[in-house]
Amino acid sequence: MLLKTLNFHRFKCGFAPVLRASRLFSNSPPSDVQQPSDESISGKQVKPERKSVVPSNSRFIYPEFLPDPKIEWRNSLREKLERMDMIQRRKHIDIPEFYVGSIMAVSSSNQHAPNKATRFVGICIQRLGCGLRANFTLRNVIKHVGTEMKYQLYDPTIQKIEVLRLEKRLDDELLYLRDAPNEYSTFDENMEVEYLPEGAPVPVNPEMVKLKPRPWRARWERKNMKGLADLGLEDRFYERAEELATPWEKYDLMKQYRKTIPEEEQKEIFAEVYSELHEVEVMRKKLKRKKVFIKPTKNV
Amino acid sequence: MNQAEVSQLVSKLRIRINPRHKNLKCPEGPQGRLNKLRKTVNALFKYERLELNYTLADETRGYAERLISEAIRHGDTHKPTMEMADYWIEEKQLIHKLFKVLVPRFNDYQTSYTMLYRAPKAYPEIVYPRSVLELRGNPFPAILPQRSDQRNFIHNVLLDEAKKAYRAEKYEEITKSLEEQRDE
Repeated sequence: MLLKTLNFHRFKCGFAPVLRASRLFSNSPPSDVQQPSDESISGKQVKPERKSVVPSNSRFIYPEFLPDPKIEWRNSLREKLERMDMIQRRKHIDIPEFYVGSIMAVSSSNQHAPNKATRFVGICIQRLGCGLRANFTLRNVIKHVGTEMKYQLYDPTIQKIEVLRLEKRLDDELLYLRDAPNEYSTFDENMEVEYLPEGAPVPVNPEMVKLKPRPWRARWERKNMKGLADLGLEDRFYERAEELATPWEKYDLMKQYRKTIPEEEQKEIFAEVYSELHEVEVMRKKLKRKKVFIKPTKNV
Repeated sequence: MNQAEVSQLVSKLRIRINPRHKNLKCPEGPQGRLNKLRKTVNALFKYERLELNYTLADETRGYAERLISEAIRHGDTHKPTMEMADYWIEEKQLIHKLFKVLVPRFNDYQTSYTMLYRAPKAYPEIVYPRSVLELRGNPFPAILPQRSDQRNFIHNVLLDEAKKAYRAEKYEEITKSLEEQRDE
């Protein structure tokens, strides 16, 4: 009652204006009505044929092409310019597909090194950031010292990025390797590239890590890591972890929404960059084939 | 700079999203907040039109929209979606309503699934801004008046003119016939 009599401000105009004389003007025979429906049906039939060529796993291969989901920081023009710059960089050096858990080798310019470049081999333990600020961290044990190198993915001083072993681990971050014994993050610097058969899914390495006894760099019992073996703590640690757990967070739909980019926007972005990315990919494959072809001649 | 989470895909909502959630008064913390919102989401699906404080209505709107969009996206055979609906809808018969009534209703919508109107405050008793939240396509009479008589639409102007002309013609005929009668 109250609501009806008082004025309301509308937030969003939703409906089309209703025409007073619509009936007079739409006195068309039923055949006319059928024609547009036929057209729309044929249009629908055309659509599935023109299925987008962008593969659905692009968001895992090129996560840095998706912008930061924080709404205050969104800027479509800046995002677009960054994407263009990223593609330009990708045309100059080969940035392969890699995941946290892959073993990589990065050669970067270093004016203090004897041949002006250093090569670092290690396991990728973290991948952060988006756009031109995307970075990844490699970890290895060199001369019994745990060493980590953080590289900007689009840094112009990087000369070469190789993926020696393409695989995933059980977690999205392997920072717990810092608290694990050295053998878990020791990799041979002269490791050879392990090739996967073309089109094969990326293997997941189900290795469980047994940590050193406390103290640690983080309270790993609270982080729900899948790749950690039994931590061997007293009961009070697990009780406290249970107290601080937030099991309702997986139901917070808006929190999830604010952390991600909706599918429609992702499609738009990848439709924009995919053709050029694909060209780069094809070039890379050609180069790779050449390398494979050369190898036996070297052995002879 | 953060990286967007890519583990699951979501549909784009057709409402304005606040950059940050709005705090609701709840001493139980984030869990209590969700419990509070659960009640209003449940009531929205039940009654289809609610009068609420603006902050609560705005927060509820996002969750209701997300739940409907998930239901449309995955259908009722998708286990995580069903779990989500089970969490958000306390009266379990409304889960049937969500999948059997609301999903078919909103399937072809190109607009948002809910509407949020500002409602007047009842000064001086209530100081907080009030609002009305409703599901689109509800059976109640529209909140806003139907603007069906748009006098300045070109076809309406033309029709008015045509009517005037028609009437003038008729008047002329009548006067003619009257004159003929007088002459006789």
